[in-house]
Amino acid sequence: MPVISSRYLIRRLGYSGVSFLVCVTLTFFLLHLMPGDYITNYLLWLANKVPKEAVDQFYQQFGLNLPLTDQYILYIVNILHGQWGYSYAYGLPVFSMIVEKLCWSLVLLLPSTVFGILVGTAIGAWSGWRSGSRRDLAVFNIMIVFRAIPEFWWAIMAVMVFSFYLRWFPLGGYSSISILSAGLSIPDVLYHAILPILLMTFFIATGNYYVMRSSMIEVIGEDYITTARAKGLDEQSVLWRHALKNALLPMVTLTTFQCAAIIMGNVFIETVFSWPGIGYMTTEALRLRDLPLLEGIFLLDSLLTIGAMLLADILVTVIDPRIRMGTDE
Amino acid sequence: MNRRVVLWISIAVLCIYIGIALAAPLIAPSGPTAITGKPLEPPGAGHLFGTNDVGQDIFAQLVFGARITLLFGFFSASLSVLISTSVGIAIGYYGGIVDEVVSRAIDVFMPIPVFPLLIVLTTFFSPGIIQISILMGVLGSIHGIRIIRSQVLSVAQTYFVEGARAIGASDVHIMSRHILPNVMPLVMAKFVSSSQHLLVMGVGLSFIGIWDTTTVDWGTMIQNAYSSGGMALGLWWWILPPGIAVVGISLALAMIGYSFEEQFNPRVGVNRL
Repeated sequence: MPVISSRYLIRRLGYSGVSFLVCVTLTFFLLHLMPGDYITNYLLWLANKVPKEAVDQFYQQFGLNLPLTDQYILYIVNILHGQWGYSYAYGLPVFSMIVEKLCWSLVLLLPSTVFGILVGTAIGAWSGWRSGSRRDLAVFNIMIVFRAIPEFWWAIMAVMVFSFYLRWFPLGGYSSISILSAGLSIPDVLYHAILPILLMTFFIATGNYYVMRSSMIEVIGEDYITTARAKGLDEQSVLWRHALKNALLPMVTLTTFQCAAIIMGNVFIETVFSWPGIGYMTTEALRLRDLPLLEGIFLLDSLLTIGAMLLADILVTVIDPRIRMGTDE
Repeated sequence: MNRRVVLWISIAVLCIYIGIALAAPLIAPSGPTAITGKPLEPPGAGHLFGTNDVGQDIFAQLVFGARITLLFGFFSASLSVLISTSVGIAIGYYGGIVDEVVSRAIDVFMPIPVFPLLIVLTTFFSPGIIQISILMGVLGSIHGIRIIRSQVLSVAQTYFVEGARAIGASDVHIMSRHILPNVMPLVMAKFVSSSQHLLVMGVGLSFIGIWDTTTVDWGTMIQNAYSSGGMALGLWWWILPPGIAVVGISLALAMIGYSFEEQFNPRVGVNRL
């Protein structure tokens, strides 16, 4: 029976809350310490033309005439209500921009995360089970090499080989020029998404491979595996019933993290492929030095990561009866 | 064994890179920004790797870019390891309230994602190389403090530490002469792996345009070539050299890192039976 003491859970939730509060405080003060105030930055090209009354009205509306503590509380309340400010460069609300781009990112992220985790775990399990063999070492060394090559370089090389020289895939973007006449078509989007999805699957798989392999190696060294073998179980049931189940435990944590980290993880892929998701928007916002938008992306990512850490801790406690969080501390 | 050979080759590669970075003005006297030829000249006698879209020599840019890329990677890795080692040893050794406070602070800071935070902070501060590497070093050290601390905890309980204390050795002496040597292998392994990680991250960050455009490093070189359509025009000499340079150093560091880990981490050693 899963045991999580409510005291532990409350404390864990408290830490997560404080973490997010730190992030929000940081973004608030960075916005405030920015040279020039929000209005002058937001209305940059209008600043000299807008009459003073209008500027004053904006100050009122944005609450910039309030004392700093009130503004801070107002800011936190707004963040919790999904009002994350306005982008300097586009003048649009940050939250709705992020949500729109997130949908595009998910087109790439969902399939690649699922496939990547499956493939990486499977190869890692196989490699760990056969650890020390010639084939395991070969796979292991290849994975080291794959992993050492930066993501954006893989992406650029893939575009160069498969799109430019072989002409199998488009060079980038999310749709052909036909979007102007025929509108957005799903097969066309998928055709543009194949190469980035394959690449991301590949990265996620190499990341999972290591954890799964070393977890498998660790489990194989345990006494209960020796016991299982000693009582005459065949290798297949030792693998499936005893080793694999236990070796998969660290993967729960890793998988939860990967689901959170994917938002930022694909900055390079999206930038290379000009895919209109969060990653590409980050690059654009960085180029335009659009602080509110970048802060929004940061807040979203920290929210996801903090949530994932919390979820991973709770999941592992529930799944693994050996861990009794909070009772043995 | 052949893993040994790979290690020595990797160390040699690393030394060559460092040598090139140090001797940059001797190898490419004209400097990275001087316009020395016609735009987009293919590789030839005058320009070893050809020229870019404004006629700057790509070889010279590559050589000078090594300085920034290596400086960034090694400086931020050194800083990160320095912070995590000193804080980790101090809190692991003293324990008690100090340990409690720092550990709780780490619990709070751990889940904050470093990469977007770095982007936000660099947008706010002026994006100089030194500033960004300091930021990266500090942010990257948080995870390491925990690793070092847990190692220190097991060392701090041993008899030789107790013995040293019994003969009246000062805390600083015990920490620097007795505990530090015992966590040193871990620190070295961490240093190599974080320099690889941070170096690649630095090139990635400059690829997405974190510094101002006047800085010449491998990331901005790739970015320039890529965004100006160097690839779509088949100008391979513009985009390949910086990329291959990054891959080379990253591979060398990764190999050194894995050899270190195999040497010092008993858990990894098991699989090589």
